[in-house]
Amino acid sequence: MSRVDRRQFLRRALTVVPVAVGAASGCRTTQFARVMLPGEAGMVGSHQAGQETFTPLVNDAVAKLLARHVDSGIRQVTYEEGTEPLPPPARRVCFVGVENKSAEEIGDFKEQIYEAIDARILESSVFQSVNRRFVDAGLRDTRLRPDQLLVPEHMRTFAAHLEQQGQPIDYLLYATITSGTTQQNRDYQRDYVLTLELVEVGTGTYDKQSAELSKGYHHTRLGRWRAAHAQPQ
Amino acid sequence: MSPRIGPPRLGAAVAAAIVALSGGCVSHVVRLEPVRVAFQGGDLAEADRLLAAEAERFGADDQVLLLDRGMVALADGRPADAERLLRQARDGLDRVAEESADETAWSMLTDDGARAYAGEDHERVMVRAMLAIANLLQDGDDAEAYGLQVADEQRRIVAAAAEPDGTNPKAAYRQVAFAPYLRGILREATHRHYDDAARCFRQVIEWQPDFHPGPGHLARVTAGTHSRPGHGVVHVFALVGHGPFKMEAEEIPTSTSLLVADRMLSAGLGRSLPPTIAPIRLPRVVAAPGAAATVQVAVGDWSAGQTETITSVSQMALVQQEAMRPITLARAVARRAAKKGTIYGLKQGLGVREGLPGLALDMAGVAWEASEQADTRCWTLLPDRIQVMRLELPAGSHTLLLRPLDGRGLPLGPAAPQPVDVVDGRDSYLLVRAADGGFIGRPQASGR
Repeated sequence: MSRVDRRQFLRRALTVVPVAVGAASGCRTTQFARVMLPGEAGMVGSHQAGQETFTPLVNDAVAKLLARHVDSGIRQVTYEEGTEPLPPPARRVCFVGVENKSAEEIGDFKEQIYEAIDARILESSVFQSVNRRFVDAGLRDTRLRPDQLLVPEHMRTFAAHLEQQGQPIDYLLYATITSGTTQQNRDYQRDYVLTLELVEVGTGTYDKQSAELSKGYHHTRLGRWRAAHAQPQ
Repeated sequence: MSPRIGPPRLGAAVAAAIVALSGGCVSHVVRLEPVRVAFQGGDLAEADRLLAAEAERFGADDQVLLLDRGMVALADGRPADAERLLRQARDGLDRVAEESADETAWSMLTDDGARAYAGEDHERVMVRAMLAIANLLQDGDDAEAYGLQVADEQRRIVAAAAEPDGTNPKAAYRQVAFAPYLRGILREATHRHYDDAARCFRQVIEWQPDFHPGPGHLARVTAGTHSRPGHGVVHVFALVGHGPFKMEAEEIPTSTSLLVADRMLSAGLGRSLPPTIAPIRLPRVVAAPGAAATVQVAVGDWSAGQTETITSVSQMALVQQEAMRPITLARAVARRAAKKGTIYGLKQGLGVREGLPGLALDMAGVAWEASEQADTRCWTLLPDRIQVMRLELPAGSHTLLLRPLDGRGLPLGPAAPQPVDVVDGRDSYLLVRAADGGFIGRPQASGR
């Protein structure tokens, strides 16, 4: 190699190396965020349930429950001539909590599910829910577990405690999330069910409404495509 | 006419440039030795001063320094400062968690110190756990969020390491049982989410089977209640012993193999490669927990018991090091290959074969390789173990007597009285840091 070639080689090497390093720079990505527009399709949880699962479950289950009780909520009222008939008083519900019995840890969704159900109930004219802070204080003061409230004696104690606080109740409401998993090699289907149980404090009779949603988790895009285009059995 | 540069002078110039590129800095572990000594000796002011000087030199946003400064603040009874520093460190670690191509390329020319420090996996989990503790000592408003982040981070670390063939080098990781424990006690304290608490304590038992109180906690949240009427709960968190740190260790077998390989290649290629004289250096986790073994808790004359280990930080660091060792070693070998390749390319490009220029380039190559340092950056002020204890006490004010004990049950220092306020149906939190000389800093209780 001549001296000129050597100098050219050095010059090129000294040019190429910083350019190569420079070109590679800035490859560490920065996290970005954006506000999602109303009605815009949300993200779908790839490994577990997310808003795509819980939002329709809550909507469906609460709507079913309210629909049933709007029908049964027609109460006989006395009518006196010259006076407006009074609407029946809204029944007071104590929403005890959301219980997660599914195979997944639902993390911060639990509080959101509670708030979503509570807000829907409050919006309806069918029920009036007791403020959550009274419920929390009631559970703490009576040292009763949510699952113990179904024992008649405990139910009476708890209802009496709330009444003392100026919060009489007609019903206890429980929400439960369950799941069932069907495995197909490395893909699996998980069926999520949100059940709302409404227990009448005076009689112990209860109503139950459920909403169900199934989700397929696929290991590959091909698996997802095949499942989406499979012929219904 | 400019003077021509011949191969000998070119070789010398390149060699000088390479030697200049070589670092020669003191490693992190050596630099921070005085900080560790001051902290472990209970001289928090000195540890703080030394860390502040380091931060001034290396930048106030250096994540490793932020982590250590957070621990000093926590031991010093400044949980708000600790939370701020640790949050800053967490955000910094998250920012550099993803590998950067330019740093990776540069680290091939220098050493792993050129890569931004994203924290060891256990450190990324522990920073969130420490944030939760710091927050609980204040108002506890964000403790639940930090608890969730701990669980998410653990899941994310293991999931991200999954290979397409289904293997996962991080599957063997011992998980931080303190994370579900923390979430379990927070969920239990709501008096409503016993199902979540049960789920968490099941995880604690699975991840830390030798945590004796685990089954008792599970039984309580499954069938019992948070506390008896008129009683509240005090949770004692004890950060016990000295945490692991990293030392530089020489990989002699790998270095010898590499020397044999480069001699064989040199003979075959017709141009010599720089011989592997400088051994490959890798960081090695060293566990030196010290004498402190547990903290004895007494209320008046009643000996309530001792704190129990929920997470062994040193063990976790050692297991994680073993899992990641092949990757660290592979990176070190690849770096040597890149350096030898560069020298070989230079020789070929410059037409250098034997003689003084070749020798100069080989010497430069050896010096370049010898300049490598193991990346010993780590969170040095972590404890060896996180221990916990749950005490149910009547509502009101109590004074807890806390005493650090060694492995034989002998006291390591005087008992420290710590007043706590117990509120009916609620949790209170107490944090202590125990080491060989007794408590570092002073015990701290929430709401005080």
